Amino acid sequence: MASSIADAFWRFLALFTANGSSTPWSAGLTAFDQPVTTIDGAAAVPVDVLRLARQASFGPTPQLVSRIGELGIPGWIDEQFRVRGSTYGDLVKWVPNDYCSDKTIANCWQNHFTRVPVAARFYADAALAPDQLRQRVAFALSQILVVSGSGVNSTAGIASYQQVLLDGAFGNYRDLLGKVTLHGSMGLYLSMADSSRSAPSENYARELLQLFTMGPMQLAADGTPVLAANGAPVPNYGSDDIKALSRALTGWTYTKSGGRTDWTGNDYSQPMVVRPVNWAYDTQAKAFLGVTVPAGAAPADGVRIALDAAFNHPSTPPRLARLLIQHLVKANPSPGYVARIGAVFVDNGKGVRGDMKAIVRAILLDPEARGAEPRGGGFGKVKEPVLAMAGLVRALGLQTDGAAMTLRDAALGQPVFQAPSVFNFYPPDYPLPRSSGLVSPASKLYSAGGTVALQNLVFDWTIKGEANRWDWNAANSLNGASSSANTLPLWAGWEAIAADPDRLVAVVDLLMLDNTATAAQKQALRSAALSITNTNAQLQARKRAQALLYIAASSPNFLVDR
Amino acid sequence: MVQLSRRHFHRMALSAGAAAALGMFGRGVAYGAPGSGFRAMVGVFLFGGNDGWNMLVPTDTAAYAAYAASRQTVALPSAGIVPLAGSGLGLHKAMASLAPIWDKGAMALVLNTGTLATPLTKATYLSRPDLRPSNLMSHSDEQEHWQGLRAQSVNRDGFMGRLHDRMGASGVPPVISFGGNNVALIGQQAQPLVLPSRGVLSRYGSNSTAIEAAVNSFAGGTGLDDVTASTAETIRDAYAMTAATGAVLGTTGSVEAFFVDPATGAALTSDVSQQLKRVARMIEARSTFGHTRQSFFVSQGGYDTHDAQVAWGNVVAGTHANLLGDLALALSAFYKAMEALGLQDNVTAFTMSDFGRTYRGNAQLGCDHAWGNNHLVIGGGVTAGGVFGRYPDPTLGGADDISNEGRFLPTTAQEEYLGAILKWHGVAEADLPYVVPNWATWSTNGRGPIGLYG
Repeated sequence: MASSIADAFWRFLALFTANGSSTPWSAGLTAFDQPVTTIDGAAAVPVDVLRLARQASFGPTPQLVSRIGELGIPGWIDEQFRVRGSTYGDLVKWVPNDYCSDKTIANCWQNHFTRVPVAARFYADAALAPDQLRQRVAFALSQILVVSGSGVNSTAGIASYQQVLLDGAFGNYRDLLGKVTLHGSMGLYLSMADSSRSAPSENYARELLQLFTMGPMQLAADGTPVLAANGAPVPNYGSDDIKALSRALTGWTYTKSGGRTDWTGNDYSQPMVVRPVNWAYDTQAKAFLGVTVPAGAAPADGVRIALDAAFNHPSTPPRLARLLIQHLVKANPSPGYVARIGAVFVDNGKGVRGDMKAIVRAILLDPEARGAEPRGGGFGKVKEPVLAMAGLVRALGLQTDGAAMTLRDAALGQPVFQAPSVFNFYPPDYPLPRSSGLVSPASKLYSAGGTVALQNLVFDWTIKGEANRWDWNAANSLNGASSSANTLPLWAGWEAIAADPDRLVAVVDLLMLDNTATAAQKQALRSAALSITNTNAQLQARKRAQALLYIAASSPNFLVDR
Repeated sequence: MVQLSRRHFHRMALSAGAAAALGMFGRGVAYGAPGSGFRAMVGVFLFGGNDGWNMLVPTDTAAYAAYAASRQTVALPSAGIVPLAGSGLGLHKAMASLAPIWDKGAMALVLNTGTLATPLTKATYLSRPDLRPSNLMSHSDEQEHWQGLRAQSVNRDGFMGRLHDRMGASGVPPVISFGGNNVALIGQQAQPLVLPSRGVLSRYGSNSTAIEAAVNSFAGGTGLDDVTASTAETIRDAYAMTAATGAVLGTTGSVEAFFVDPATGAALTSDVSQQLKRVARMIEARSTFGHTRQSFFVSQGGYDTHDAQVAWGNVVAGTHANLLGDLALALSAFYKAMEALGLQDNVTAFTMSDFGRTYRGNAQLGCDHAWGNNHLVIGGGVTAGGVFGRYPDPTLGGADDISNEGRFLPTTAQEEYLGAILKWHGVAEADLPYVVPNWATWSTNGRGPIGLYG
């Protein structure tokens, strides 16, 4: 944006302050100061800054919009490429698979064999850690390269897998594909581990092509399907390709830890290893996708040749470009947008294919992603429940270890890291209700039940958002720590703002409505605030703030990122 | 938004212009005469590709031997099969609770059925790739082909939704899912009711008029883009449906008592049992909603059994046995609940799944994606002892196998199967091409819906 505008606005926003990282991010517990700004200061934040915050973070906070303002949009993106903060590394603690047969270990199953500790860390970091863009990209990747806690009962395995995605979010997609393919959790989830030449499993081979790279049908560079003369889509591979590819992926098994040699020693947090037997790996030549793994090649060569073929396939760049755009910016990108990002996937400008940093930067800086809020057909995307909940947490300014969110996300239809299948929580082409031809992946999760569950969450955490809420104080004993105050609302800042109803309306509009509430809507917010009275001025202010946060967060304007 | 929403439609349906509105949308005009009393269909989608070849197993000596020879690692022993008298087939032992329904003549078997765009032989399959369904053996595509009934193109709506379009119903939608939003339920005009399988559906709301007015000022906002307008309507509909159905879901009906394990008396807890219990409750409460026809979608996941489908050393146990056991207990409980309501001949429950699985098991005691599959139809007055379709030649690489792993070419199309149920449900001849898009293909040359109901 123009620097003159920025100069004028960020002085106001400097009133927002952060108390940052007195506690290590990995411990998950810290908090931002509450938003403090003037009416003019709030109104002056350009819509495009707030759009970026919705696209590239888990939701606007005063600190975040201030920082974007200081650095400008490209500058902030570049800073995000350097920032680190979140990690799952300390959750990668292998235990033998019969660990909980020792009945004296408290919360043994939850803390060692479920997604829960990883999910709690995810939410705490989404709420508070500074490396927002890295986390958003890793979250998108976790929904493309899916591993699910319903198939992988290993906290260390799920944590290690998420760490791979977090570390690879700004790396190269080919490297990521290599780590994902050989990860013990993926080996378990899609049955590549222990697949052997006598009758190889086709599971990983098939999803590698269909979901992780090229997709089943040929795509033009702009992501539109290539059609045969009779109008039918053209397949990218056939059963023979799948069969030969599955043979190339035989011969692998789990790393064993703890000196164990039976199934109890399987370590789903480590890369797989080649089985030390001569009957598991298929040493014959295999031909697929126009390439050949020669007879006698090592198992690692088979994997390398397979992944190179999938990564270098011409359908892979447009397909992944479209998926990443759908996760970050909009559900219905134009063919031109897909083509521009696909071209960056093919070549980052320095001849490198698959450079995630270049891809992410291009997605966020594309003309179709930037500018004032667009209106009309096909713009924007519905916030999936995880993003809606995390966005609410950030706007409220909750301090949290994330446990409360793990108690609620299943009811919202999206227990993070526990997708129902490798096809994720929703398909990329789920139709937008009541429209012809538009898609809206996240809309699959907004049934009557799912919608009401989200509305009730919003109600609970705003109007009923007092510090003694049950789900904010559940004794969950995550990782053996007894936490008595997992999630804390810090209402003091909001009470200060809400002393002035117009200022309250302005800040709510800023943080939750993209500064796009109409005059009539602002008036309705103001009337709602004034309808709440109490002889205790502080209590009155808090209740007014809670009511307006409830109205805003239950609105379609909050639920759709444009 | 150019299209009129269901909300608008309801509003108009209450007005003097209701008849004109119906005509305008072509809804409710041609839907078959519902004078024959109440009917409901209950589609149970088994996500992941159920291994129907181990759900229904040949029991005649030679046929069983051929089965065992080809299935290899995942073959069930004879002792793991419950014979269905007179059919030459048996159920997986885990589904024994369904055998009494067969004995009553209230269950039909549908063999080697799958997605087809046009009839195929092995020779035409091999020589004419352009006639095959697109992306065969892809979960997501085949699920959509089953639900949308267009096997060679993108499906943006499905058979229950299109049925709903033609029903012209107002108020609480008679197309209801407890298995989430799915393409099957989406109509070109009508929207389904999608409810949770557990818990009370009630919206926490403020009792302040000023707060509600502000909520409405956003939900009813004008000048919204398509995505936001659709989302606003989803929110408003959810509120309306909560008010309309909350009381029914929040109370225990007479049907609840049947959802127990007959062996132990313990309440069933599987998700599919919770869903079918709620279906039974909605059927019990049909007059509350004014429904003379209902269509339900329920689901069970986890059937993508590439490994550990059967347990090492005890192939009658394992992932698949657990899934089928839950399914059978839920279906038999549901049938008993319908009997108690006197509706066992008015309600049809039927299975669907992505695809069948390879006949040959793999080295990890699982099997891979295939095509033709076997299905169960329960209740609705099905032909007693009915077995429809043809069991394939189980020879690997044989006349019915398009590979060497046992990927059987379907001999019955999904539209011949579901079309039979849709006709029974009341879809008029004139509406069949709308609800079943390739109806012309399947109603010529002696083909057509299978004779499920005689």
